[in-house]
Amino acid sequence: MATPVPSHLLRSDIATAGEARSALSTAAAPSLADRRVRGIGFKDVTVAYGGLVVLDALTLEVRSGEIVALIGPSGSGKTTALRAVAGFVRPTRGRITIGDRDVTNIAPYARNIGMVVQNYALFPHMRAEENVAFGLRARGASQAVLRERVAESLRLVGMEAYAKRYPRELSGGQQQRVAIARALAIRPQVLLLDEPLSALDAQIRRSMLDELAKLHRELPSLTVLYVTHDQTEALTLADHIGIMRDGKLIAFGASRSLYRHPPNRFSAEFLGRANLLPVTSVQPIGRGLAEVRFGEAVLAATNPHGLPQGADCLLCVRPHDLRLRQGEGGHNALAGIVESVQWQGEANSIVLDVEGHRLRLTCAPLGEPPEPGTPLALAFDPHVVTLVPETSGD
Amino acid sequence: MTDLSVASSPASPRLPNDVWAAPPLLVLAALFFYPLSLILRQALFGDEGAFTLSHFGEVVGSPLFLDGLHHTLVIAVSATAGCLLLGFILSLVIAFVPFPGARLVGRLIDTFIALPTFLVALAFTFIYGSSGLLNESLMRLLHLPLPPIDFLYSQWGVILSEVTVYTPFVMRPLLAAFSLIEASQIEVASSLGASPLRIIGQIILPAALPALIAGGSLCLLLTVNEFGIVLFIGAKDVITLPLLIYDKAIQEFDYTTACVIAVVNVALSLGLYSLYRLAVAHFAGSRAGLV
Amino acid sequence: MLVWSRAGRILAWTAAALVFAIVYGLPIGVIALASFSGQWNDVLPSHLTLVHYANALRGDSAEQAQVSIVTGFAASAAALICGSWAALALRNLARLPKRALDVLFFVPSAVPSVSVGLALLVAFSQPPVLLNGTRAIVLIAHFVLISAFTYGNVSAGLARLPPEYEQVAESLGARPFYRLRRVILPLVAPYLIAAFSLSFALSMGELGATVMIYPPGWVTLPVGIFSLSDRGSIFDASALTMILAISTLIVLVGLSRISSKASVR
Repeated sequence: MATPVPSHLLRSDIATAGEARSALSTAAAPSLADRRVRGIGFKDVTVAYGGLVVLDALTLEVRSGEIVALIGPSGSGKTTALRAVAGFVRPTRGRITIGDRDVTNIAPYARNIGMVVQNYALFPHMRAEENVAFGLRARGASQAVLRERVAESLRLVGMEAYAKRYPRELSGGQQQRVAIARALAIRPQVLLLDEPLSALDAQIRRSMLDELAKLHRELPSLTVLYVTHDQTEALTLADHIGIMRDGKLIAFGASRSLYRHPPNRFSAEFLGRANLLPVTSVQPIGRGLAEVRFGEAVLAATNPHGLPQGADCLLCVRPHDLRLRQGEGGHNALAGIVESVQWQGEANSIVLDVEGHRLRLTCAPLGEPPEPGTPLALAFDPHVVTLVPETSGD
Repeated sequence: MTDLSVASSPASPRLPNDVWAAPPLLVLAALFFYPLSLILRQALFGDEGAFTLSHFGEVVGSPLFLDGLHHTLVIAVSATAGCLLLGFILSLVIAFVPFPGARLVGRLIDTFIALPTFLVALAFTFIYGSSGLLNESLMRLLHLPLPPIDFLYSQWGVILSEVTVYTPFVMRPLLAAFSLIEASQIEVASSLGASPLRIIGQIILPAALPALIAGGSLCLLLTVNEFGIVLFIGAKDVITLPLLIYDKAIQEFDYTTACVIAVVNVALSLGLYSLYRLAVAHFAGSRAGLV
Repeated sequence: MLVWSRAGRILAWTAAALVFAIVYGLPIGVIALASFSGQWNDVLPSHLTLVHYANALRGDSAEQAQVSIVTGFAASAAALICGSWAALALRNLARLPKRALDVLFFVPSAVPSVSVGLALLVAFSQPPVLLNGTRAIVLIAHFVLISAFTYGNVSAGLARLPPEYEQVAESLGARPFYRLRRVILPLVAPYLIAAFSLSFALSMGELGATVMIYPPGWVTLPVGIFSLSDRGSIFDASALTMILAISTLIVLVGLSRISSKASVR
């Protein structure tokens, strides 16, 4: 996106030409205090189609100005949750709030949300600027407001040079930017992004990801609900991540801590790559750490979920947290035999057999990669590995 | 600046969706279903106004009616078979032996659907009629005293005309179905050593089956209902049900008999139509490229 | 590509071209030739003349062409409104009533046109509504016969419209009527035009119902062509058929131009 726009331009508390036209606004201007609570609230939201529960008692709060990503495999209910906020899915039970307003029974067109969908859905019969103006026209905005907002929104996504183009004359990434500008032009209370990058190819996806992050820096008060199946997008953008499975929210937390300390097996495997070793006999040793037994070895790891003494659980080690060591023995050491080595450009990926379990290790490219069959010693820092309950997450 | 928010009145009382369907339904009821029901009434009550099945019995048992029904069915089934064969072959060439202008030909065939059906019947009298192009040429070439080709004024003339007219209705769904067959599938099959005939039998035909069935049942329906071609060819002994209705009502003013025949004809058509809908629904119409 | 050898392909093309020429080219060519023929007692006409077109352009035939075009436009416009309305109304219905009504709106296309004509004749020759012998009954017949096709075309267009367009529009604050006017109708415009074209073509060629109900003074082209050919004026009939076909095609081509412009935008 071209030149950064001072973020105050997009904040709705800045006076614009349309200010005098109070007739345009049907609701009274929300006070600054209101704005602070413009989050999204799910309270016990359940969606069922003919007995099939697709969203099961979701309770979740997206705080004002926050990006929350919902991730999960397809059919996990994440898109249903987003569509319930938009109003296209009616909860069979529960309430949805935007800010302090209960929107559960409000028509989608009256919810004041911005939505960006996977295939952009730019109106093909309208130019980029007409697309961006759509929401404003639907509200009966004056020409002056219209012009200013459209220009401002297009500028924000770096598309002002393409205002006169039709969608079919734009690339996928450009269409996505126009779609975002269209959603932002109405100054929505919340922005809903439904798999916004999954139709783009890998390279453009990476750069769009950077730009979305930048956009949020420029619009810090915008609340965003971001639905994706891609963990990289979630980890890059979101302040908090919710992991969904079979209609249920099975994990929710700040992105970093959720990645570091997944609360269950499914979260560990879905958010990033994880080696999960079955370990036994938890023995807390203080400072949030615990010792466990893995075969003959005694290993130390963090125990954020407070697993009790003697419990069996899984040891979650991220591939990049495993270190190759010289010699044998020492703390938190494992012995393995190399199964295969892959060179992946910026890293080496080594798969080892550790007492019948497969472990993956990634490290900086090695000068002399080990041959398959070579015994190797591994170690890890107890502070970066986590004990995870055996449950799959239900 | 205030937000341009839309009035947040909780869901203003909207008309229920069903109400919107009422006006067109009423129009259709008044202009179509009500008249149709009167045909049934006329067939069952006649002009006298008392319920009787005697009209039905009389008409349905009459040789005229049975002959008409027989002709209608024979013509419809033969014409449909012809349409399927011709449509399949022509579509095959257009879709799989691509040549410059193949799309144009497809468009031309589409346009042909828009032309009145009797055009073909009229043209056939010039081509295959007793003093038409073909007979005159043959008589001249072979020095024959009488026209050698004499099928136009039989049911074969009607069948041939209907094949010409209705083949595009088979080709449309077929071409749509063919366009969904990936070229790579055929290329792979060819590279594995399958002959064209084998590819047609094992890849193309199975993929086209839904379109063939849907197109075929549509053809059957249209050929049973066809009137213009039969009227224009005007063969004395080729009387189909629609023509019989016309003769009874317009030439003889015998409305009751016409209505009885119409009831049978409509029932036959609706039966074929259900068949068509079932075929389309079963094979998911969108895939077969049918509306 | 199914046939790989060059010879095989040329063979396939030649065969297809031949079949195509005989089945489709020949009838149209012959009608065209006949419409210019002075006399045709031999293999080919003995001389060509414009007299049949001259006949067609004056008197009854010219009037019939006018009647056909007026009927076609009026019936197609009515069918377009009714069919689009029905298709739009059915869009938001629940699955079961939607399927049931869908069948109802399609039924007229399944009923033979002669029977539709007979039904209208029976229904509107008796109270409460007497329309027999009026122009209205011809319009009604054409409307009924083509309404299913417009409905089918428009609902096919609506079905192909991804739901996201309307949902995004709604999330942006557009109310139902605004969405209809600014998003849905423009996006299905090509289908509306196609529906109108098809209706118009069907109406122009309609014979079965018209021949049952047409009043004196409101004779459509197909009926006129039939009575000409019945009387043995087959060259005049050919000329009139050419006029019918060409005027239908002109309207179709014109509308498809508008349609492709609408879809390119």
